[in-house]
Amino acid sequence: MKRLLAATALGLMAALSSPALDGALAKELITVDLVNEPSSLDPHKQWNPDSYYVYRNIFDNLVTRSDEGEIIPQVASAWEQVSDTQVKFTIRDDITFHDGTKLTPEDVVFSVKRITDPAFGSPQLGQFNKITGAEVTGENEVTLTTDGPYPVLLAQLVKLSVVPQHAVEEMGDDAFNAAPVGSGPYAFEAWNRGVDVTLTRNDAYWGDQGAFAEARFRAVPDASTRVADLQAGAADLAVSLNSDLAMQIEGAPGVKPLIALTERVAYLGFNTRIAPMDNAELRRAVAMSVDREGIVEGILGGNGAVVGQMLSPAHVGWADDIEPIPYDPDMAKEIVESLGDAATAEMSFDTAPVFDQRIVQAIQQMLADIGLNVSINMMDMASYLKKAQGPEESRPMFSFGRWSCACQDADGIMYPLLQSQSNWSRYASPEMDKLLEDGRSTLDEDARLAAYHAASELAKSDVALLPLYQVAAVYGASEKLDWTPTANESLFLNRMGWTE
Amino acid sequence: MSAAAQGLRERLTGRRRGPGSRAVLPFLAIFAAFVLIALLAPLIAPNDPNSQNLMGRLKAPGVTARNITYWLGSDELGRDLVSRLIWGARISLSVAVLSVALSGVVGTVLGMAAATARGWVETVIMRLVDVFLSIPAVLLAIITVAVLGPGFTNVVIVLALTRWPRYARVAYGQTLSVANMPYVRLARFMGASMPRILFIHILPNIIGAITVVATLEFGLMVLFEAGLSFLGLGVQPPTASWGAMLSVGRNYVGSAWWISAFPGLCLFLLVLSVNLIGDHLRDRLDPKSR
Amino acid sequence: MGRYLARRLGQALVALFGVMTLIFFVQRLTGDPTYLLVPETATQADIEAMRASLGLDRPLLVQYGAFLADMARLDFGRSYIQNVPVIDIIASRLPYTLQLAGGALLVAFFIGVPLGVWMAVRRGHAEAKGFMGLVLAAQSMPTFWSGILMIMVFAVWNQWLPPSGAGGWKNLIMPSVALGLLSMATFARVARTSVLDELSKDYVRSARARGVTTGRLVRRHLLRNASIPVISIAAMEVSQLLAGAVIVETVFAWPGLGLLTVQSIVSRDFLVVQGVVLLGAFVTILLNFAADLLYSLVDPRIRLGGTS
Repeated sequence: MKRLLAATALGLMAALSSPALDGALAKELITVDLVNEPSSLDPHKQWNPDSYYVYRNIFDNLVTRSDEGEIIPQVASAWEQVSDTQVKFTIRDDITFHDGTKLTPEDVVFSVKRITDPAFGSPQLGQFNKITGAEVTGENEVTLTTDGPYPVLLAQLVKLSVVPQHAVEEMGDDAFNAAPVGSGPYAFEAWNRGVDVTLTRNDAYWGDQGAFAEARFRAVPDASTRVADLQAGAADLAVSLNSDLAMQIEGAPGVKPLIALTERVAYLGFNTRIAPMDNAELRRAVAMSVDREGIVEGILGGNGAVVGQMLSPAHVGWADDIEPIPYDPDMAKEIVESLGDAATAEMSFDTAPVFDQRIVQAIQQMLADIGLNVSINMMDMASYLKKAQGPEESRPMFSFGRWSCACQDADGIMYPLLQSQSNWSRYASPEMDKLLEDGRSTLDEDARLAAYHAASELAKSDVALLPLYQVAAVYGASEKLDWTPTANESLFLNRMGWTE
Repeated sequence: MSAAAQGLRERLTGRRRGPGSRAVLPFLAIFAAFVLIALLAPLIAPNDPNSQNLMGRLKAPGVTARNITYWLGSDELGRDLVSRLIWGARISLSVAVLSVALSGVVGTVLGMAAATARGWVETVIMRLVDVFLSIPAVLLAIITVAVLGPGFTNVVIVLALTRWPRYARVAYGQTLSVANMPYVRLARFMGASMPRILFIHILPNIIGAITVVATLEFGLMVLFEAGLSFLGLGVQPPTASWGAMLSVGRNYVGSAWWISAFPGLCLFLLVLSVNLIGDHLRDRLDPKSR
Repeated sequence: MGRYLARRLGQALVALFGVMTLIFFVQRLTGDPTYLLVPETATQADIEAMRASLGLDRPLLVQYGAFLADMARLDFGRSYIQNVPVIDIIASRLPYTLQLAGGALLVAFFIGVPLGVWMAVRRGHAEAKGFMGLVLAAQSMPTFWSGILMIMVFAVWNQWLPPSGAGGWKNLIMPSVALGLLSMATFARVARTSVLDELSKDYVRSARARGVTTGRLVRRHLLRNASIPVISIAAMEVSQLLAGAVIVETVFAWPGLGLLTVQSIVSRDFLVVQGVVLLGAFVTILLNFAADLLYSLVDPRIRLGGTS
């Protein structure tokens, strides 16, 4: 209790005495409005956008992606597949952490072992648990071993931040989370819990220097307030907006929307394991009833691209020749009528507030228009996830989702959604399972592409789910901010600047 | 200061009532109008409130698209705001009526029971009141939705769960003061049954105070329903309620003002008139504020 | 008096225990945070591993026992999401909640009470009725709407105030007003009622008879005597304020406990929710207790607790 009182008194003093922001400071400072504050700044802990938007700037990753989406060197300057299960990385020798110590291959090995240690309990374990070994195998050389051929390894390593072994061990996990030490373009300065996180530029950074001396990440849960912050000049960049807010920003002085197609794919999922959606004809009717062009043009203001496969062009596995099932509500109505009673059962469309309710309601209306009896069931996100990953027969009959694996690979999106054993899947087909297994267990790029092509064809002909469109991320920014958002929804401060 | 002095004199001499009681009439009329609109919704709504037109989104008041004139504009899915407002009156009013009724009945019965039964019943009920007053309404809302699933009925249940302690406290206090009155003691002495004492002798004496609370709670329920919609826990889309319309419309304050302005105005007028009616009733019925 | 205090204390402890138990079990009816913690690509095995590492795979009663043991040691545990002791999280948010509650009380008190006094003195006049209408109008708008309108008017169209967040005293103005307006009517009403009560008392009549002016009467006597109910209602109103703060804090991105509560409930951060609710229950019960005491000190005729 004493501790509570002391901390309260301190906080009260700090909160009352913090000075109002000075306008002259603005050029050196960038203020970013996130939705919530980061859950953790230890990059091996929490995995959510509000956390990694911040900690990705404090740490370097083993590899990274260029603005065009190609995997390029970062901490590892080169890599080589030495066997089906082993990749050898050459580690840069000119990187220093913010505390002045050198980044060594031992730090890389430590980082891999830390995040893959089940006892550490990283929520991200599932992205790295194919890695069974990490060893220093020479000067500036680290070899990673996987439990089988693993073609997605590099794509996953884009998300592996390298932490300093000595700092973590000396500080302990808690202190490290509260005041992380990395090697990235920005160094941790202060975390004013609930209010903001401040970073300062790392002037000794080995790579591209950031343009801003200081960066402040604030938590602003309400989207309208984030837009108001931009318009009032209180923020320079705001995340997680939608197309209608973009329209409002478009019409306001001094601010602009920044929109980029991402690797996120929106889809309408159905539970094909239970009646009535176990009927492929009914699923075909559903597919024909959804006006995907209308959604993209009408609701999203053209920001998005209709797709006919559960992938985007940003994914490995994308095929140019798979067209969407055409929109044909009249035909859909006929099919529904011919099915009789089977199609009039009451069906529930489960969703949560985070999903774009304009689209959920539009789809519900389109389904009602062809004679289906579908009602929307909105619940909070945790309840929704519990239902979506619960027992197969109780998974949602209909659901709208926007999937990203943050790996830009078909394996990360099709496997969880379509492989019969996966805890998201509402589809079971031995043929599909085999194709998805083939795709993830060979290093032969052509064989992979062929497998995913066949899988996409099968998903389409069996209407396993209905891919809708490639999602565009909408940000709002000060007119002076120069930044090109990328497909993997990363937010690297050292790739931004002010326009003159 | 002479006007104030006059007020004082009136107060002291017991002469009362100037224009005050008539001032509430217009608000009674507004409330009655809303009730009428809610009852007649199917007859007076010009269009289907849920019919969308993705090419006719966010149209300003007066614009015509696809043979429909949007007299108050269209919403984020091209639905006619006039029709949604009319149907929304139904939902907003019935959520408030039902939740007030449910919490009022449950709270009053429990409060009266606690005050008459005394002993452990009293302890359990009144501690339960304390417990429920200490739990955030949002938490109750999320739990209810997670356990029972979402929907209109559950919004009513959530609101009743949060608000019954208020009635219980009033009923408890009032019952205690009435229970010691000579005629109640007499009835008990004559061997009247407990339910008879409660409903024949006590209830008529406390119903005034309960009515005052219920009127004041009514406005609060309308606002709470809106708040639940804002948190994504309200009535299910696409059902129109003023609260749901307003919580979506607030995202368009800078681009399509009409989506929030009209439901906001309706909601404001409804709550204000109910509050004024309640305030007036309180003056008339509640002996403490007379 | 001593017995009364002991009994009230006992009741308060029972209520706290009830809150703790209820919160513990009903929260766990709503699922757990694991699905929110793991990336979408996690397998069932990953989810089970995560659940085990949080200790949520143990039988419910075992968890409850551990929880009670922790409570007995005043250990509130650690946040599942933020990996930080709950007590630290609450401590960092508490100052902001105190500021906001203080600001809102100021607004409600300094507008509501004078209006209420004035309405009592001017009772029966059209303008007094009109002012009551205005006071009620202020609490007839949902704050999530009036809040964004305030932001648009005072921060976007006229850049007089910062739109959101915590910082200097200017940041406190809009959230305080938005929250304070909700309680203003309560204060006005109570002030009016208690001044009216005082007006009907003998000493006022005799003072009037001695020719004391109305202004002097109000300043010297009425306000002091009528202030007790107002102060006690202020105590009760604080817990109402905390409930209303949930939406105000969301709209204005104010980092108080209301926002923390919603976020932790939504993310199933059980221990944080338990901590916040327990703190809230403690404060509510304490304030009610204080209000009762105040009443009984002012007016010994009131039978303590009503149930002796």
